[in-house]
Amino acid sequence: MGRLKHPISIIILVALATLGLRFLFSYILALPFAASAEAGPIDTLFNAHFWMIAFLFSLIMVMMIYSVFVFRRADDDDSDGPHVHSNTRLEIGWTIVPTFVVLGFGVWGAVILNEITRPKEGEMTVNVTGKQWIWSFAYPEQEDVQSGELVLPVNRTTVLKMNAEDVIHSFWVPEFRVKQDLVPGRETTLRITPTETGAYKLRCAEICGLNHTQMEADVRILSVEEFDAWVAEKSAAPAFAEMTPEERGAYWASAEGFGCVACHSSDGTPGVGPTWQGLYQRQEQLTDGSTITADDAYIINSINEPNAQIVVGFNPNIMPQNYLEQFTTREQEIEAAEAIDLDIAADLIAYIKTLQ
Amino acid sequence: MFRTLKVLLTSALVKGLVGQFVAWALGYAFIAGLRALRGMPTPWLYEPAVAFGGIISVIGFLLAAGVLTDWLKWVVGKRTPLRHGTPEGKPEWSRYVNVDYNHKVIGIQYGITSLLVLLIGGSFAIIFRIELAQPSMQWLNNDQFNTLFSAHGIVMIASILLGVGAMVNYLVPLMIGASDMAFPRLNAFSYWVGLPAVVLILMGMAVGGWDTGWVGYATLSLRAPLGVVLFLLGFWINGFSSIASSINMLVTTATMRAKGMTLFRMPIFVWGAAAASIIQLTSTQTVGVALTMSIAERVLGLNFFDPAGGGNPILYQHLFWFYSHPVVYVFVLPGLGVISELLPVFARKPLFGYRWVALSSMGIALVGFLVWAHHMFTSGMADALRVPFMFSTMLVAVPTGVKFFSWVATIWEGKLPKNPPTPLLFVLGSISVFLIGGVTGPILGTIPTDLHLHDSYWIVGHFHATMFGGFIFPFFAALYYWYPKISGHMYKESLGKLHFWLMLPAFWVMSIGQMSVGLLGMRRRVADYDPALGITTTHVLITLAALVIGWSVLIMIYNFIASARMERVAETNPWRSRSPEWQIPSPVPEFNYDVPFEVVGDPYDYGLVGSSYIRDALPAPSGD
Amino acid sequence: MSAVSAHAPHDEAHAHEIPYATQLRSNRLGLWLFMFSEMFLFGALFAARFVLWGNTRPDLSQEIGLLATGILLLSSFFMYRSEVGAAHGDRTRFLRSALLAALMGTIFFVMVVVMEWNVFGLSGELFGIELFGHLKPSDGVYGGVFYAMTGMHALHVLSGIVLILIIWWNGRRGFFTPERHWGVEATAIYWHYVDVVWVFFYPALYLMGQVAG
Ligand code: HEA
Ligand code: HEA
Ligand code: CUA
Ligand SMILES: [Cu+2]
Repeated sequence: MGRLKHPISIIILVALATLGLRFLFSYILALPFAASAEAGPIDTLFNAHFWMIAFLFSLIMVMMIYSVFVFRRADDDDSDGPHVHSNTRLEIGWTIVPTFVVLGFGVWGAVILNEITRPKEGEMTVNVTGKQWIWSFAYPEQEDVQSGELVLPVNRTTVLKMNAEDVIHSFWVPEFRVKQDLVPGRETTLRITPTETGAYKLRCAEICGLNHTQMEADVRILSVEEFDAWVAEKSAAPAFAEMTPEERGAYWASAEGFGCVACHSSDGTPGVGPTWQGLYQRQEQLTDGSTITADDAYIINSINEPNAQIVVGFNPNIMPQNYLEQFTTREQEIEAAEAIDLDIAADLIAYIKTLQ
Repeated sequence: MFRTLKVLLTSALVKGLVGQFVAWALGYAFIAGLRALRGMPTPWLYEPAVAFGGIISVIGFLLAAGVLTDWLKWVVGKRTPLRHGTPEGKPEWSRYVNVDYNHKVIGIQYGITSLLVLLIGGSFAIIFRIELAQPSMQWLNNDQFNTLFSAHGIVMIASILLGVGAMVNYLVPLMIGASDMAFPRLNAFSYWVGLPAVVLILMGMAVGGWDTGWVGYATLSLRAPLGVVLFLLGFWINGFSSIASSINMLVTTATMRAKGMTLFRMPIFVWGAAAASIIQLTSTQTVGVALTMSIAERVLGLNFFDPAGGGNPILYQHLFWFYSHPVVYVFVLPGLGVISELLPVFARKPLFGYRWVALSSMGIALVGFLVWAHHMFTSGMADALRVPFMFSTMLVAVPTGVKFFSWVATIWEGKLPKNPPTPLLFVLGSISVFLIGGVTGPILGTIPTDLHLHDSYWIVGHFHATMFGGFIFPFFAALYYWYPKISGHMYKESLGKLHFWLMLPAFWVMSIGQMSVGLLGMRRRVADYDPALGITTTHVLITLAALVIGWSVLIMIYNFIASARMERVAETNPWRSRSPEWQIPSPVPEFNYDVPFEVVGDPYDYGLVGSSYIRDALPAPSGD
Repeated sequence: MSAVSAHAPHDEAHAHEIPYATQLRSNRLGLWLFMFSEMFLFGALFAARFVLWGNTRPDLSQEIGLLATGILLLSSFFMYRSEVGAAHGDRTRFLRSALLAALMGTIFFVMVVVMEWNVFGLSGELFGIELFGHLKPSDGVYGGVFYAMTGMHALHVLSGIVLILIIWWNGRRGFFTPERHWGVEATAIYWHYVDVVWVFFYPALYLMGQVAG
């Protein structure tokens, strides 16, 4: 012992503390259930990082606390410690060794990144659109099915092609580990390969304004057969011509349509915009002091010029001002494919009327 | 009583605030008047008028407070000798609410303002933490929640910058043996311009708030409520303070050091402060550009970020993080300087590897300029860009590690007191807290793990740990350590210890709790969360811890106020430090040193018999 | 709380006045640091131009741009003469050149604001050259970047003109001596700096890339 007393104690204490901390981490720093192929290598890297955190923390804390308790002086002891200035070899050591460690982690990170982002065989594409505060999904390879929930087959890599309509949003399902922003004006992509069937939640991870908290969508991972059945059911949906205006209105309002439901509830729950329940013919108090009856003209005007008539208790500048244009584009698209004379706004009013 | 009120009401502080609001009204009326001339009515809280008034209001504040008076006199060729000491017939305390050019007064002004702003920002956190203690919404709505956390972030950062200003202004001239800063008027300007900036930000909360967080990303900032304009403006104005004070600090250090004080004989705190100043001097400008562009896009209709006109929302993030990453090192470098400064004094041993520690500050600052895009790993950057940023980010760990290892080597075999006084407790506490903050950084730096952690509460845990460990704890250590120097009184040790033993464990609970919920899927900046995530208990703990931290800070403030009125007069050098400021009486005389001292040795040669750092440190004789 | 001991008498304050030589050294360093800081401001705008415009540029009047640039560069020459004049105690030369520099700066400023920005909405031609620009601030990123860069630069030119007028006014009253004329020196350095910035901005705005928009 003698000269080696301190180093040996330190080594033992650091080793014990590292193991103890790593063990503790598995409770207090636990990752959620892993449900994608990408989660595999990422969790390995997490694990390595947790080991490093446990070790570095133990190393420095053990030495610090050891010094505090082992070398401390009595209250009346005014003497100084040994006059040790520096030690070049030590200093070079604690510069070089961490450099290699962090570079090693960097290389490892790059390798895993390449693994999870590179194109895989048999990929399927889903278009993801985010806007304040709703998600919608389109399946170009499955007869252009539109959906308000993300439904994917298990064990097949999906490329999510993502677009934002207004501000930045971010796609995150914790069980899949990976995350990607949706940026207005450009397309971003994310690859995920779900490995476990089940239900998950997609939640927007980038602050996107008032209702960022509520910007969620359901995610369902199905077996291949179930997925095909879902696609078949979705694409067998009746043509617009076969639907009643009320049914069409409900469709337009949903995430698959124009996402009105993000702000206007149909059951009286308070939202960012006035609820549609009982809206038709309701007396509304406007911010300019006047009162108005919610008739067809008022509703059309509220779609066309949302800031013109603001109901007391709600904020202007939240609803996009271009819905009528979007309606016209969509009407023309559909009219080109189906023999029907569409009026989306009228459909919506018909739907609202049913919500008494 | 009446006299006190009179002095207060005629102080620069009150005049400035009145001037600010008068100028605001005038600016608003100017725009409204222009519109009226063209026959247009001006709606209530019309944005361009509010923004223009906001800019004018800052000038109004400065003019009314008298910050610009001397400079304006220079313009017409008048000489203006610096006024020293308390003005005739005014009480001593009136110096602190008036424009004063003494660096110690300005340092204390910074310090008090910093603590007040910390209380304001901290109480915002307490308010929204109570909401987050339970799932579903209890007493805030989304709107209020968003405004509160956004304001919490920026107000806290303002508080940190003020605190850095406090330490730099009070300590640097004393430590290098100067009688004041190189540009005393610019120094006063740096302090005073920060006040209207904070007022602007707080007013932003009153006129509709904003929901962008402290980062103010485009294009959300272009659609957010009116308050965002005042937030952007206040942030921008604060930049003037940073730039001016960094110039002052760097010039003072370069030209006014005592004889014999070579760069490697400066007290180590000065190195940290200098590295921080280099960052403030340069990168503040780019965030200024980002903020100006956002305001211009909103108010004047110029296009930079909105893709509808060809703009690029990612450009904002680059300009923003080019400042806002390096600025985190502005927060910590002076704080780490305090740790390096205090450890040798208490351990009675030289600072281990002084040169390498000094250079590591510069290393952190330098590498810190090359890592900004690690905040944007998920923004859709090409891999060819994000991989290099991953490597540079990982490299910052190296110079930071040098500091930790040197600290440990400093106290190894050192003679720390058996019964550690409060400043030492805070120093040891900050090492532990900054360490956990630091080591949770590289996991964010490797992209695959960051893809999970980005915008989760892990980040929240990471940066509260770095900011508390790198700034709040060292700042509190510095306050306790230099309190006897500043006030001439000794604080109450038992209350100091109570503060520490409440704050440290509470902080650990809060920070680890935040990391824990983040891993499990808790997003940042959300008013509510899904109980199915299984994080409710942890959230309750975080909130309770937040309350304890809040109370402990109040104890410190009570301690300082109460001790200043008490008879416990401090010894000249209670910590037996070799640093020059401890060789002269407390409180420090108006002109610091009567005879400029000469440096004849190394600053931290504790344990070297017969050595001394300085010669001839005589205090300036005081007036009476 | 009494944090600074009681007031000091005035004669004592004199003993602590910083010597002029030290103050001058500090002033010089301070100014250079300020300009170093501003480099990041202009650099950020410069970078934004390349991000947003890429290899294109708006259609601007080459003649006006070249003329304005020439005038600004020439003004630097007069500013230099002015400073030399002040340093040699040649007051006439100092004052006259300063005024000339300010005048040219003003012409440059007017060319940017009145002609390129066309704030008064004028139109007109001289020798077949269109005198007034047609790029509006609301013209997408072209308008945005152009107005931001020229605007930020024009603000500096304007403050430079004000500084020159201040030293001119004080110089007339004999404020500066060959030994003590820091104000003149600072103004001259600042003015040259603003010019150098334009040397980078001008090609970025007027010369590089294909005409678009
Ligand atoms: C004082 C503030 C401070 C400090 C010092 C740091 C320090 C570091 N930070 Fe942190 N960071 C913030 C404040 C700070 N950060 C803030 C405020 C945010 C969020 C902003 C927002 O979005 O609102 C953030 C976010 C943030 C991100 C973005 C995350 C995201 O949004 O996705 C990243 C990514 O790389 C990161 C990394 C790092 C790293 C690598 C360090 C390194 O400097 C740490 C270095 C230190 C150590 C590593 C410990 C000691 C070293 C050793 C003992 C040597 C041996 C070490 C090894 C071998 C690893 N930080
Ligand atoms: C120095 C910086 C600093 C400090 C000290 C703190 C301190 C605290 N922070 Fe801070 N925080 C930030 C900087 C800081 N924060 C930043 C930059 C963000 C990011 C914002 C964004 O996302 O944009 C953030 C975000 C943030 C979040 C995430 C919000 C979200 O994403 O939804 C949370 C949540 O727990 C939180 C909590 C706390 C708590 C509980 C404290 C506590 O420690 C506070 C302790 C309290 C006090 C110190 C005050 C004591 C006062 C009283 C008890 C009342 C008396 C009042 C008066 C007399 C006026 N902070
Ligand atoms: Cu969309 Cu947050
Ligand atoms: Cu960073």
